[in-house]
Amino acid sequence: MRPARRRVPARLLALQAGTVLALLALGEFGARLVLPAAILPAPSTIGVHIVHRRDILLEAAAYTMSNAVQGYVAALAVGVALGMLFAHSVTLQRGLFPFFVASQAVPVIAFSAIVILWLGNGPLAKVAIAFYLSFFPITVSAVKGLQSTDPMSVALLRTFGAGAWQVLWKLRLRVMLPFLFVSLRVATTTALIGAIVGEWFGDNNGIGIVILQALQTEDTVRLWSGIVACAVMGAAFYGAVAAVERRLLWWPAPTLEG
Amino acid sequence: MAEKLKLQGLGKTFEGAGTRLPVLLPFDLSIPEGEFLTLVGPSGCGKSTLFNIVAGLLSPDPGGLIVIDGRPVVSTLGRVAYMPQRDLLFPWRSVLDNSILGLEVQGVSRSEARARAHDVLRQFGLEGFEDYYPFALSGGMKQRVALLRTFLFESDIMLLDEPFGALDALTRSMLQEWLAGVCERYRRTILFITHDVEEAIFLGDRVVVMTPRPGRLKLEVKVPLERPRSADIVTSADFVALKRQILAAIWEESQRSSETGKGAAP
Repeated sequence: MRPARRRVPARLLALQAGTVLALLALGEFGARLVLPAAILPAPSTIGVHIVHRRDILLEAAAYTMSNAVQGYVAALAVGVALGMLFAHSVTLQRGLFPFFVASQAVPVIAFSAIVILWLGNGPLAKVAIAFYLSFFPITVSAVKGLQSTDPMSVALLRTFGAGAWQVLWKLRLRVMLPFLFVSLRVATTTALIGAIVGEWFGDNNGIGIVILQALQTEDTVRLWSGIVACAVMGAAFYGAVAAVERRLLWWPAPTLEG
Repeated sequence: MAEKLKLQGLGKTFEGAGTRLPVLLPFDLSIPEGEFLTLVGPSGCGKSTLFNIVAGLLSPDPGGLIVIDGRPVVSTLGRVAYMPQRDLLFPWRSVLDNSILGLEVQGVSRSEARARAHDVLRQFGLEGFEDYYPFALSGGMKQRVALLRTFLFESDIMLLDEPFGALDALTRSMLQEWLAGVCERYRRTILFITHDVEEAIFLGDRVVVMTPRPGRLKLEVKVPLERPRSADIVTSADFVALKRQILAAIWEESQRSSETGKGAAP
């Protein structure tokens, strides 16, 4: 029997809803009475704008999100594969790790321009940038997770006659999961950043373009609609990964006595 | 009875940078099929090293040989059922799925393995708990699951390394009596490590006493007590006499090692 899922208490929900409403009210008040609309449009104005242009926003968001998710999935696959390689061989880890660290020290902006030149204006370049920003933290946490297996548990499996693959499949990958999910949650944000920043270097579709065009025309309301879209995408992506994590990692964390 | 397991000239010396630490001096030991052999000795006498060698996790010093069913064995990995001190249950597996881990590694299909586990759950006092996860079990229950996992693994030699060491006295004596009953039922060749002399006599057909490091065999005694044995047998005259004999051997040995350890102490 698995532990019962804990419900969020009503008090907490009320507090959270209250905070959101208070922030919206504060924004509305500030925008209408204190600040000029060019600096901070009223939340209601932004809301009306979003509802009005929902089709365009949705299409742009879907494009950006699709690039981000593809880059993310590729980063997950490559990150775990590299993690297995590095966890398996200390020589490989010590020999190659510095190159990966160096590659990560290159600011994404410098790198993005080249990627657009290589891969063109289409979605592939954005997928590549999203991937590039996300795969390294995933690799690091995969290595750490794979190396955190209790040696006694490995010994137990070996006495049963298990080979390296069985140990990997039945034990190491499971032990890796909690470590992996730490980076998987962070990577939702970096993948999304990669997909959006990639658009700024050349594209005619996506939320990044919505923001860029709004900036060029100094259309603050439209700018804010892009920001809201990014926030919703980021939160949804993060929430989806956190939900998968809760499903897969339902058992209580191990204690010192094991 | 036929000889099941023979350890021949088995010793172990750990070698580090310029240092040699003899942990186990070469010794011979023969275990007939179906015997319950208990090994007692103070901590640091190389018991666990011995078990790691028999389980196939460590190789003995050159010259040492493990013989199963009359044939020398290169590696015992996959051939003996090893139960370490800690239960090492996987927290993501239910009681039932933890118990079939060894069978799974052996290539038995999950449904077949589960069916086999189901058949013996009752004998292990786990009936009704098959869908529980380790976090919800008491220490005694976890040890039972670990024992079931060891029992289900298809091998006729079992190595139990202080399986009840971490349990409270009451739970331990209950589990000892239960284990004796289970072993009566499924006759297996068992090597059992403990530092508890009473446990060694109560469970064993034969008791082997080991000396502190470097470990070697100090005393071998048959346990002449009838089976089934009940818990109150520990107060019987035979039991007490045997206990006295074994404790004397252990004391003698520890006396000697503390004398040599202190050098010229008066």
